[in-house]
Amino acid sequence: MKGMLPLVQNETLKIWKKKRFYVILLILLVLVPLFTYAQLRVSQTNAANFKDWRNQIQQQITDLQNTLASDRMPEEWKKYDRIKVQQLQYYLDHDINPNSPDAATFTRQFMASSVSMFFPLLILALSSDLVSGERTGGTIKMLLTRPVRRWKILTSKLIALTLYVSLAILATGAVCYLISGLLFGYGGWTMPVFTGFVIDGSAIDATGVHAVPQWAYMLMQSGLIWISCMTIAILSTMVSVLVRSTAASIVTMMAAVISGSILAGMASSWEAAKYIFSVNIDLTDYLEGTPPPIAGMDIGFSLAVLGIWAAAALVVSYGVFTKQDILN
Amino acid sequence: MKSSGTLWRVVGTASLASTLLLAGGFAFAMRDMLIVTPSVQQAARQAPEEAQAGGQYQQADEILVTALGDSLTKGVGDNSGRGYVKPVLEQLKAATGKPVQQINNLAISGLTAAELDKMLAEDRGLDNPIRQANLILLTIGGNDLFRPVLEARENGSSSDIPLDEIEAQIPAAAASLKSVVERIRAINPEATLVYAGLYNPFYDIAELRDGSAAVQRWNDEAYRILAKDEHAVLVPVMDLFEQRSAAYMASDHFHPNQDGYVRIAQRIVQALT
Amino acid sequence: MTIDYPVRRRPKSRPSAAAQDAASKAGVAAGEPVLDVRGLKKRIRRKWIIHEVGFQVHPGEIFGFLGPNGSGKTTTIRMLVDLIKPTEGEILIGGHHLARDPEKALAEVGCIVENPEMYPYLTGWENLEQFARMQPGIGEDRIREVVSIVRLDERIHDKVRDYSLGMRQRLGIAQALLGRPKLLILDEPTNGLDPKGIKELREFIRMLSATGLSLFISSHLLSEIQLMCDRVAIINEGRVLAVGRVDELVGQASSFVLWQTDRQEEARALLADQPSVQLFGDGEHRLDEGALAHLPGAIVTSVDEEALPDVVELLVRRGIGIEAVQRVAPTLEELFLRLTEVEAE
Repeated sequence: MKGMLPLVQNETLKIWKKKRFYVILLILLVLVPLFTYAQLRVSQTNAANFKDWRNQIQQQITDLQNTLASDRMPEEWKKYDRIKVQQLQYYLDHDINPNSPDAATFTRQFMASSVSMFFPLLILALSSDLVSGERTGGTIKMLLTRPVRRWKILTSKLIALTLYVSLAILATGAVCYLISGLLFGYGGWTMPVFTGFVIDGSAIDATGVHAVPQWAYMLMQSGLIWISCMTIAILSTMVSVLVRSTAASIVTMMAAVISGSILAGMASSWEAAKYIFSVNIDLTDYLEGTPPPIAGMDIGFSLAVLGIWAAAALVVSYGVFTKQDILN
Repeated sequence: MKSSGTLWRVVGTASLASTLLLAGGFAFAMRDMLIVTPSVQQAARQAPEEAQAGGQYQQADEILVTALGDSLTKGVGDNSGRGYVKPVLEQLKAATGKPVQQINNLAISGLTAAELDKMLAEDRGLDNPIRQANLILLTIGGNDLFRPVLEARENGSSSDIPLDEIEAQIPAAAASLKSVVERIRAINPEATLVYAGLYNPFYDIAELRDGSAAVQRWNDEAYRILAKDEHAVLVPVMDLFEQRSAAYMASDHFHPNQDGYVRIAQRIVQALT
Repeated sequence: MTIDYPVRRRPKSRPSAAAQDAASKAGVAAGEPVLDVRGLKKRIRRKWIIHEVGFQVHPGEIFGFLGPNGSGKTTTIRMLVDLIKPTEGEILIGGHHLARDPEKALAEVGCIVENPEMYPYLTGWENLEQFARMQPGIGEDRIREVVSIVRLDERIHDKVRDYSLGMRQRLGIAQALLGRPKLLILDEPTNGLDPKGIKELREFIRMLSATGLSLFISSHLLSEIQLMCDRVAIINEGRVLAVGRVDELVGQASSFVLWQTDRQEEARALLADQPSVQLFGDGEHRLDEGALAHLPGAIVTSVDEEALPDVVELLVRRGIGIEAVQRVAPTLEELFLRLTEVEAE
């Protein structure tokens, strides 16, 4: 690994100077205020309609119970609502507001709902031209004629990518917190959040449920998001090695991610879909206690699936990158 | 050299710290999800803070309404989704000049008196909205009484519909209703409880018209239960859906339509003002 | 890693650049080739692109690599710098085997393959920093040195996307020189340059050669190679046809002499009688049209070198007014034909 650090420095500086990180910050600065404002409107409506949050949660439960009473609803979908009801009930029983209007809660919820689409998009902004960009720019000829082994070059690129993925996740959290705090106040770090709901069919096993302070929950959540994002990053690096054009590499990855989330939505009837990486991206669901899209999935399973996909992608990337002829 | 060296140090350090933090977060999550024995960390059950009781609506500055019950309170059959509760709120406001706010509409379609009784017994989440209210609106019992008929009709055997089945449900349903009223009173002894009586939803079906007698017996039963309570009132609505039932019934021949609900609301408001 | 990094970047105990150069020069004894290519073959998708390529480049010489477009020049160059793996054959650079020991072998080479493409979003300086970090022992002072060698000092802190082609070319050379290579590989270096730029480049190449550097220059223009190189390998259709001194190889193909007189018919008849003169009809010579542009209708001949003054004198004595006598270099095509004829014999 000697001599790796200057290579990582090179790649880090290149990604920075390509202004990729600025793009991410810019996207965040545009989108987060939008969502913050939408959330503000929701809170205002709730404040007008309900005396306090308990009434609101109770109404939510009643509404869900009404949908559950409907015969038109497929049994698989009812499962989600039943579990949701049980979770809301749990919060209500313990007198903890799951939607407390503060910056920390908003950030937590925003991050959780971003795992399946928004984060992959941000990661693709960083990773999709990691290798294909050098090919289209022709700079790969300079890069690979230096007295450095090709596997070292690719490793340095992956390390730099890892660093930026981490930075992007934290930046998202920070931007979200700072902007939403303007409207909701900067509190909420120590508010208890429940985790440890174990889904058993359509019921919740609440024996494992315990409260953690919101900051700890957010730390765990970010760790899981990081794993999802790294899988996307590694897969997209593979595509970037295989595909010559950056546009094609973005399209390929986006198609994979989107089809995954559609499959996760349709779910359940096609069991083999659970081996597709993008169906397993939403790791934070396990922390929240949302039922997995397909029966039989749990955190261990999803981590294994993501791990295998990432490992395979690494094998392909290194195999191709170190052997491939640079013809143009 | 200087600037890119500094840039590298700043970006490198920040991103390395982020990576370590996130990897730590992942390890923490794994420990929490897979290893920690949760019973140790079982959340201390906080006693929910007592919501302020609503008192009596006549004296209050603001009328606070909680609605409970079945599809009638939910407003099934009304295409605008307002049911009778929303018109009651509006008409009350107009009649009293006081602000009127709905705390919760906790009605669930298809609920029976027995199920409501069970919910009130087990679901402590209902306590708050009931305690906060000074006016409680309730409809219940229709599903208990008419379910056998509905099921028979669904099976297509409209010829031999067991009218006496309706009759047979009354004792059990009445016992549940009594329990429901007691439970509500245990939570909130002061609020005015309005119970809208049942009507015969099958009045326009000739062979089921006689069901009205059974419905009337249920209403009598309900009256007896509520009569002991000085803040409770039974609002009869049966007559509204007999002579011109087609104009006030929804297309499902079971629930009122929008106009039907408005008429129920008028009755309730008349009883209260 | 963080601790040993600055030490590695600027080794205090490391011998000076000059001493290192001297040491590495000593390692290559005079005559031992800087670049040794043996039996190189390449097959891409079941098709042989390079059939047989072999040559040696000696220390301090300027070696030309001549062939028309599509002859396999670029593929060969890419194999020399490890961008393409040869199907067969071996490449030794400075005595290091490229396939087995690419790090050592590539440390001896600086190259520009086709266009000098650099990161447009970085400044020239930042680009050089990038490449400096990829090789141990190259510090800020070396970057400054190569920048001044290619005379890019004034614009070095501008973004490369604002550079002209000539400036990019110079930055490319700076990059290639950065690692103090023994061998510099330039692929069609004059492509896209204006005549002034080409002249500057030639002077620059001679200057570099004077410092003891070996240069490997590919081109599809015979004149280019003639002007710059000591020795040349000639490649066509994936095969090296000949390797040798430029003057010898180019001499194999006779040069032409063009005559423009005031009485062309008379002159033609006279020239045809001379044993030392060979006349060519319109379709017989393979001269470039450009060479005839200034002398329309000139008589195309080939004349023995020593006999030329006598022939001129003969024409003058016969009263034929000579307007122009011009010697024209043979074309690459002519050279190929001659070489393949030689091979066939």
